[in-house]
Amino acid sequence: MNHLLMLEGVKMYFQVRSRFFGSLAVKAVDGVSLEVKRAETLAVVGESGSGKSTLGRVSLRLIRPSAGRVIFDGEDITAANDAELKRFRKRAQGIFQDPFSSIDPFMNIYQILEEPLFIHGLGNSRERRRLIYEALEEVKLTPPQEFAPKYPDRLSGGQRQRVGIARALILRPDYVVADEPVSMIDASSRAEILYLLRELQDRHGMSFLYITHDIATARHFSHRIAVMYLGRIVETAPTKELIEKPRHPYTMALIEAVPSPDPANRFRERRVIPGEPASPTRVPPGCRLHPRCPLFIRGKCDVIEPPLIEVMESHYAACHLYC
Amino acid sequence: MRPQEAIRVLLSSGPGKAGIIFFLALAAVSLYAIVAYPLDFGLRFWNNPAIWADNPRNAPPAWSNTFTHLRRVEHTTFRATEPAAVIPGAGVETRLYTFDLDYRFEESPAFTSFSLRHLTYYSRPPLITLSLARPDGREMLLYRHAVRGPDPGESPPVSRYVEAPLRVYLSGDDTVLWNIADFLGREFEMELPLSQLRGMVDEIAFGIPGGDGQGFRVLPGDYTITVAVKVYHPQDSISEVVFVLGGSVYGLMGTDTLGRDLAVGLLFGFPIALFIGLVTALLATTMGTLMGILSGYQGGKTDIFIQRFCDVLGNIPLLPILIFLIFVLGQKLMLVILILAAFGWPGLTILIRSMVLQLRSGQLVEATRALGASPWRIMLRHIFFQIAPFVLAQMIFFTPAAILAEAGLSFLGLGDPSIPTWGQILEFGFRTGAVYAGYWWWVLPPGLLIVLTAMTFVLLTLGMEPVVNPRLRS
Repeated sequence: MNHLLMLEGVKMYFQVRSRFFGSLAVKAVDGVSLEVKRAETLAVVGESGSGKSTLGRVSLRLIRPSAGRVIFDGEDITAANDAELKRFRKRAQGIFQDPFSSIDPFMNIYQILEEPLFIHGLGNSRERRRLIYEALEEVKLTPPQEFAPKYPDRLSGGQRQRVGIARALILRPDYVVADEPVSMIDASSRAEILYLLRELQDRHGMSFLYITHDIATARHFSHRIAVMYLGRIVETAPTKELIEKPRHPYTMALIEAVPSPDPANRFRERRVIPGEPASPTRVPPGCRLHPRCPLFIRGKCDVIEPPLIEVMESHYAACHLYC
Repeated sequence: MRPQEAIRVLLSSGPGKAGIIFFLALAAVSLYAIVAYPLDFGLRFWNNPAIWADNPRNAPPAWSNTFTHLRRVEHTTFRATEPAAVIPGAGVETRLYTFDLDYRFEESPAFTSFSLRHLTYYSRPPLITLSLARPDGREMLLYRHAVRGPDPGESPPVSRYVEAPLRVYLSGDDTVLWNIADFLGREFEMELPLSQLRGMVDEIAFGIPGGDGQGFRVLPGDYTITVAVKVYHPQDSISEVVFVLGGSVYGLMGTDTLGRDLAVGLLFGFPIALFIGLVTALLATTMGTLMGILSGYQGGKTDIFIQRFCDVLGNIPLLPILIFLIFVLGQKLMLVILILAAFGWPGLTILIRSMVLQLRSGQLVEATRALGASPWRIMLRHIFFQIAPFVLAQMIFFTPAAILAEAGLSFLGLGDPSIPTWGQILEFGFRTGAVYAGYWWWVLPPGLLIVLTAMTFVLLTLGMEPVVNPRLRS
């Protein structure tokens, strides 16, 4: 079986009590199906509030979806019990956005990296030491003997994120969710971290779910891109195809928004879509993008929700232009 | 923040430094008190009138002489277990117990007493004489006593004064009166009737005639009190010889109305105050922290149950409950500590819960959950460590509250009678009217010590503030 992780019609609604009577639901993820293949990097791109982080958390089963199924390596883990989840967690890991708050400031690097081994009961103390030093070398925190006894406050943001990566990868997981791993890191270290992830993927063959708001980094790092808007996937295609031939108006606008270093483009008007995304508590009827869409078809887009259809081979888009 | 760093921050602030110094001093005194006195001090010594029988009542501390125009007699107790000298003789041996007294006071002693404990003899009963060598070179025989001979059927060795010691108040003993009359006639050619001499023994022993034929004035200088015991067998023994110079000022801290040495009572109050404060604070913060973490992290029904329980517990008026429970269950220190702890944790739980709610949604908890850690591991290894500095500060902050609560209860007469505390010393002072009589040495020190102890912990809390709140760090 080629798919490592499959999400089937996943919905994640959060109840918020905003009024005196009754409650509102935030529809963070509203019916998403996608799959991550083995040794593949799938980038999920979207604005903030589009539900991409929630999708990542659901796929790690850190939260239980309101509806739909999460299938990992052929096993349905939507309603897994503690023991099953623990087995799953050994094979699925996360790298988080904030390298400052995602690692424990009261533990030194050695303890931080030992914790996953400890939780899953791997190795005796000598083997653990070897694994920890190996992991530090892999993320290029060398010499490991020097870094291991340090506390996180002695490290830079980039170095901390490497510790976060080492912690996620020390268990040799098959599936890793990288939730904006470089958005809080100095621009100078970003490329390094992404190259490091790519290199580790080549060596160990794990799959990544790369969550980002930055389509430019997704382009360099991922094999496939899924674009998310307001809790839904609007377009998904292999990276090159999606960047070069975007079909969905929202994807087009996202690509337009990437600054280009060509001075000839200085005075070119960008076709950026106006306005802000709607609140996920009040999702517009029909196509979710229709209030902002430049290609809005009255009487169709605001009534019927477009399905995700295959517009070209392995290129899917949800837009009435192609129905 | 790591512990070394926390201590460095604590030491870098003035209040923190003062707090640490005070705390170390309190701890050192407590340690000394625990080592120097038995743990059942309250029952065996403090509340045992026999121990304090010789002491003057309501005597101010000895150093108060510095502030008064008249130098009053310092209460002094001389004890000896071994003779200072032995004079051998034919079939008889005289053992001398000598006490040197530098008498620099401007009044005669309130009383003088002589006592002797546990005497054993093998042949003839020993003969005891007490004499006084005065600074004017005169020798004065005060007391002569022959130990009672063997009773019919009793065979040596014979023991005397085992349970009740031989205790003689010199001013009340007829032999002493005869000896005094004899001394006055021989040395000063004075004839006074015995009825008049009674009550003047100490005045005459430590004075010379005033010149007007009637009164005596104090004769300061070096006195030597000699107790000579004539024994007729080398194995005869005496376990202790005591001479008490009854004064009107006493020791370091004076005495209360039962003659108890307040210095000892106050000293023993140190470890108890610290014990009450620290144990109560430890119990309450442990409970509060565990419940707060559980409530905040688990959420749902657990959270609601714990929070409502805290609301109820936190709103029960503590003092009436304490008084009621102590009436019902008895005046025990551990009970007071347990009740204070049982009602002290809810506030902390509510605070900790709000901190944990924030941490729970943070990336650290998310990341640790993704690693597969169990909720217990996350709560104890990660969340607890994040809030630990705050918890420590809360614990220190809670300590004086517990000490003050116990003092308050003791002051209401609800203290544990078997364990003397500062609060109880104060209470006894108020009950017996020490405040109105102006016995400042009795009321002020325990009050000040309570304040000092509470202040120590408040200073520590002030010093801890920058540790808990990083924005205050310079």
